Amino acid sequence: MAALCESFTLRGPGPGGDGPGLCLEPGPGPDLVLLTERGRAATLFKISDQKPLGCWSLKHGQILTCPVVCNFETHEYIAVHDDKVLRIWKSEDISLDKAFKATLSADVYRIHSLPHGGLLVLFRGGGVRTLDELLEAPQQEIENVISGEAIRWSGAFMEDQQPVLIFTTEKDEDFFVYVQKPKLNSLHKYKLEQQESAKPLCFTAHITNQTVTLLCLYSNDSVYQILIPLQQDTEEEEEEKEILSKSLLLNFSISQAVLKGTSLVALDKDHIAVLGSLNAPKKQPKECLTIWNTKFQTLQTSKELPLGTSGQLWCYEEKFFLIHGKVLTVIMYKCETSSLAAAVGKLKCSQTPDVSSFMNWNTLEDEELVVSFQSQESVGLKAESRMNLRSKKSIDAELPFDSLSPGQVLARFKDAPNYLLETKFRRLMARAPTPDLQATVGGVVNVLTDRCKNSKYYPQDFLQEIVETWDLSYSLCPDLMAVGLEKKDMHLLQTCLERFPDIPEEITYACLKAFLSISEAHLENTDVNLDSVICYIDVESDKKEVKTEIVENGFSAQMDQDMCGTKIPKESQSWSDDESCPVGPQKAALLNAVLHSAYTETFLLPHLKNLPAQEAVLFLRYLYYLYVKCSGKVNTTLPGIRSPTINQIMDWMCLLLDAHFTVMVMLPEAKELLSNLHRFVRAQVRFYSELNKIEGSLRELQRLNHLRESHTYSIEVLEII
Amino acid sequence: MGEFEVHRVRFFGLVPAGVRCLACHPRGSRLALARTDGAVEVYNFAANYFQEKVIPGHELRTVESLCWAAGDRLFGAGLSGDITEYDLSGLSAARGVDGGGGPIWSMVANSTGTQLAIGCEDGSVKIFQVVPGGIQFERNLDRRKGRVLCLSWHPSDTHIVAGSIDFFRVIDVTSGQTVQRIMVNHHVEKAKRECVVWAISLLSSGTVVSADSFGRVQFWDWEQGTLAESHTVSTSAALSLAVSEKEDSIIVGTSTGATYQLQLLPVTLGGQEKRWVRTKPFQFHSHDVRAVAHSPTALISGGLDAQLVIRPLMEKIQKKSYDAALRKFTFPHRRLVSCARKARLLLFQFSQYLELWRLGSTEETGKDGEVLPLCQMPEHLVQLKSKGPEHIYCSCVSPCGTWVGYSTASRFHLYRVHCDGDGVSLRKVPKVPKLLPPAYQLQFSADSDSLFVASARGSVHVFQLLEPGGCKHLHTLRPPSGCSEAVYLLAPSADGHWLAAVSGDWVSAVVPSVHCPLLQHHCTVPTYNCAVSALAIHPSTNNLVIAYSDQQLLEFSIPEKQYTSWSRAVQSRGLHRAWLERDSPITHITFNPKNPSHILLHDTYLLCVLDKSLPLPDDSTLLMNQSTLKQLPETARKRQLHAFKICKKFQPLLFMDLLDENCLVVVERPIMDFKTQLPLPVQQKKFGT
Repeated sequence: MAALCESFTLRGPGPGGDGPGLCLEPGPGPDLVLLTERGRAATLFKISDQKPLGCWSLKHGQILTCPVVCNFETHEYIAVHDDKVLRIWKSEDISLDKAFKATLSADVYRIHSLPHGGLLVLFRGGGVRTLDELLEAPQQEIENVISGEAIRWSGAFMEDQQPVLIFTTEKDEDFFVYVQKPKLNSLHKYKLEQQESAKPLCFTAHITNQTVTLLCLYSNDSVYQILIPLQQDTEEEEEEKEILSKSLLLNFSISQAVLKGTSLVALDKDHIAVLGSLNAPKKQPKECLTIWNTKFQTLQTSKELPLGTSGQLWCYEEKFFLIHGKVLTVIMYKCETSSLAAAVGKLKCSQTPDVSSFMNWNTLEDEELVVSFQSQESVGLKAESRMNLRSKKSIDAELPFDSLSPGQVLARFKDAPNYLLETKFRRLMARAPTPDLQATVGGVVNVLTDRCKNSKYYPQDFLQEIVETWDLSYSLCPDLMAVGLEKKDMHLLQTCLERFPDIPEEITYACLKAFLSISEAHLENTDVNLDSVICYIDVESDKKEVKTEIVENGFSAQMDQDMCGTKIPKESQSWSDDESCPVGPQKAALLNAVLHSAYTETFLLPHLKNLPAQEAVLFLRYLYYLYVKCSGKVNTTLPGIRSPTINQIMDWMCLLLDAHFTVMVMLPEAKELLSNLHRFVRAQVRFYSELNKIEGSLRELQRLNHLRESHTYSIEVLEII
Repeated sequence: MGEFEVHRVRFFGLVPAGVRCLACHPRGSRLALARTDGAVEVYNFAANYFQEKVIPGHELRTVESLCWAAGDRLFGAGLSGDITEYDLSGLSAARGVDGGGGPIWSMVANSTGTQLAIGCEDGSVKIFQVVPGGIQFERNLDRRKGRVLCLSWHPSDTHIVAGSIDFFRVIDVTSGQTVQRIMVNHHVEKAKRECVVWAISLLSSGTVVSADSFGRVQFWDWEQGTLAESHTVSTSAALSLAVSEKEDSIIVGTSTGATYQLQLLPVTLGGQEKRWVRTKPFQFHSHDVRAVAHSPTALISGGLDAQLVIRPLMEKIQKKSYDAALRKFTFPHRRLVSCARKARLLLFQFSQYLELWRLGSTEETGKDGEVLPLCQMPEHLVQLKSKGPEHIYCSCVSPCGTWVGYSTASRFHLYRVHCDGDGVSLRKVPKVPKLLPPAYQLQFSADSDSLFVASARGSVHVFQLLEPGGCKHLHTLRPPSGCSEAVYLLAPSADGHWLAAVSGDWVSAVVPSVHCPLLQHHCTVPTYNCAVSALAIHPSTNNLVIAYSDQQLLEFSIPEKQYTSWSRAVQSRGLHRAWLERDSPITHITFNPKNPSHILLHDTYLLCVLDKSLPLPDDSTLLMNQSTLKQLPETARKRQLHAFKICKKFQPLLFMDLLDENCLVVVERPIMDFKTQLPLPVQQKKFGT
């Protein structure tokens, strides 16, 4: 299932930022991208930092005529200005004027940089040279392959250690495709099959198994796929221009609305991304970015871009780059192998009506009762409500409430008005304890939760009271926690976590995620049982925390990270001894409830992997805080009732690190935390091994102490608090 | 709350006497216990095994055997050759009847409790009839050579089995003839050592169970004279055995301190054939287990290490209660220490002498847990030996430290203590008024002007103390309605207006004291179904604080003659579960005059400052939270505070008192200290030693 994730701005609105010459190329390393803009300047960006690393511009009067590319082997940058002038520089160079310069004999259309494949220069006339060839003899003659055709798109690939260059040309509404292998001096020319009343707008291609798959976005809102075999034998006659047949891959019609695509990117063999404007009848066209599954012909996800785009879309390293409004925006995406289940994307989902049907055993049990209701209901529409009330009353009169079996009560009051429900159920539960009372209470909770689903009704206090007074379990009322999650009833979830012995790991994880993601401000007004935290948390140190953060700004803590063991410099010690709790007391209490709940590692781990990175870091930060707090005490226990034990803390810490190892390693904000944690653990290990050594001597001392204690008289000081 | 300077005293050299024999009341509600020094104690199962009666010993009266007969009458017999009946309401031994066969080794009552059989040194078995007011010799059974060490009646009272050295015999009661004589060593190859049959029991099926010095428990068919089963439970002697009432379980005590349970179990599940199987071994004692008893729900054992151990049989217990936990008692449930607060003296009571000590002092102060340097060492002032064979019932030192009194079974003694400089002189007060002895409790008034003597039949004598060393009987306070039981606890109020007294039928009566013109009984605290273990009158509010043996605490307002609102609140809320499940009863209550809301109390394992101004803990909070509190910052402590401030640092605690507002004295008796004074136990090879 593909999904669009968070987005951020890579570059704010520049002066006249929507220049036509704007183009993106991958930079010399991961997380780097090279932006060529307005024909005059090239900028290197670090994506994750959202900042430029370098910028080079031309003298006034010179114009960059093709996107600046980077040589992946030498990390040099190559630009062409004024069609013919080649410039090569390194990132240390500041001025382009002093950079290497070569003037070519023909106009350059574009330079393609291939990893492990060198650079290919495509000339306007269709000729292709590698850069190395050109630099040996810049003024060499370049042949003209195409006559009167204009290149519309070009792409370069590596196949079989050979660079392959594909470009499409247009002439009098005819489109041609050229496939060139410059190392083998082979050139093939194909003609594209014509399409009535539509012409290609955008191309993209990829090569798999000696076959070029050319995807072509046509103006009739469809994507066509063209397969071009890369033949090994070059003996074929070139007079006959082969005509390439195309097949319809996808049509962008979303329930009457039509997507007018402007740009197309292939993500993998099943997914393509299309940038375009969605034209619904009687509505303003909306620009949006969409991801489609070509295998199942479904729209996977879309994102509206209300500020408009330039129509260009690039995609590198699982990130989309586009001009949204006047800013260059990066949108991250995830694209997983498609399966049938995952393919039921957004489009299908909105079409299927939300029907859920399941057995209600209580109804079956009292089938007669239901039948009687139904017959009465069918008497007449107008009298229906009155009849209902009356029939209920009459039954009430016949059978006193207390003589009804619990099952009957549940069935009868399942549809009763809200105010009646609670009082009746309270009476039901107040009955003398019978062996199945537990099950009855479970039934009551189920009726209540059924009602709560998809409605505003939510008897928070009543549910809380039930959970607190009865020894329920998850299996008795499986929907309760789901409803609690839906209604964000943190206190109920906390109580359930503390009391239920059999919560599935999935729900535990859902609670953890909810607890981590809920805002502190919202929690401050929530009633949460703080017993487990008040004994060790320092509420007053909130302000202090802010201060230490100010202090640490500008202080490069990383410098001291590799200092190990006991000799920690004072500044960094004060910094690492960050005593304040990373979460508020309410959140801490909720997290403690999660720490206390039972789980099986194998079942929890897959869920835990889904925890968003920021929340994982926050949780780890809290666990680290607890760990430090615990270790402050000799007996490594936290005071208070239901406060987490050191074993629980360690187990969860290990689990979390297991689940998010790669994320933690990548995440810059986790770096400090991890290294602090590592340092602390190392210090602890060293400390405990030292303790091991002195245990023997301590034991001897203890024995001596015992002898000393056998003195018959002493005056001691005893403090009683 | 505050810091205390604690005088931690470990020089009270009490060595509790070993347990010699046990006797379970036939209805299972009480347990009689005799110690090697001749003291007899009665424990009440219903009142959390409270040691409700103690009859101090006598040098010439050792008790080898105890038995209940004719309902609630308790008889003892010993090597003096006398059979003694104990007056449980008067807490004294009645005059003994000579058995006429030399030292008595064993005594058993028949199933109806009408006859007693004694086994004597000379090999005779004699039957005594229990008659109102005493016992009467009935007849001699067949006499054979060899002391009779143990006896057992057949449940139908037709036969008696008597164990001797190397053999036991079965005697027909009606004819008085020996019908079977069985050599216990006959089956073994000619043993060089003699084999002592230490304990024996005759079951209703006709099986004889014997425990002998070879560590064997053997089952005999007495009619055939054959050995049915033999279990060697120990390499050393099996000293005692007891059979459950249903005759399906046996407990055996051995000289290694181990006890074993044997059970009659079906050979196959649900099958008819049953055999005796050794099921559970226990090692609770370090020394000989000379006495065992089998109550319906528990195995009870007493050893020479002075421990009484009650080990519940979990399969017999329906619900979790106080009875469901293992109980061990080593120290008496009453205090043997009294303290002169002003003079800082401690008086220790031993069985036949008293010791008076002066506490040391320090000039330093310190933080929690520190041991302060002493500037003056404690001083053993005097040892006061009681004359005669009788053991001391009670003793007391006056708050000013100038009077010391003690009482034995027959006499009451009062001494004047003069401390001048280094010398201490002790002068006996002449012409002490003759009273009907004994005194069960002595208590001086706070101003040391008068002395209260608890006496039999619920009466309390008031003596006026005269300078320089005299004593005058002022009054005798008696309860309005007759009371048969002796007063065993006294509590005078600080202002001298009130006196609370507790007698054995568990009524604490309050009578106005000397200075009050109407020397009348004021009121009686509502009867409670457990024994009072300690009580005290608050110095400023005159509220009576009572601790019961089931760990309940009540506060009774004397002026208003009703329970205080705090007490009602405690009752309605209930005390903390951990408090109620404690082992030993509260043995002393005192108050902090500077802080009227504080009540100080202690039992053997903890001392507690009860702050009435704080909220009571509920079951979900931690009762012993002092160590947690110490870890917390000041601000966080407030929320965690509750009324019970418990310190378990000093164990086993025999006495605690407040000397002044922040100075405590605690008297400990570490178990190891007195174990070293016991005779060496049977040597056992232990791995790694």
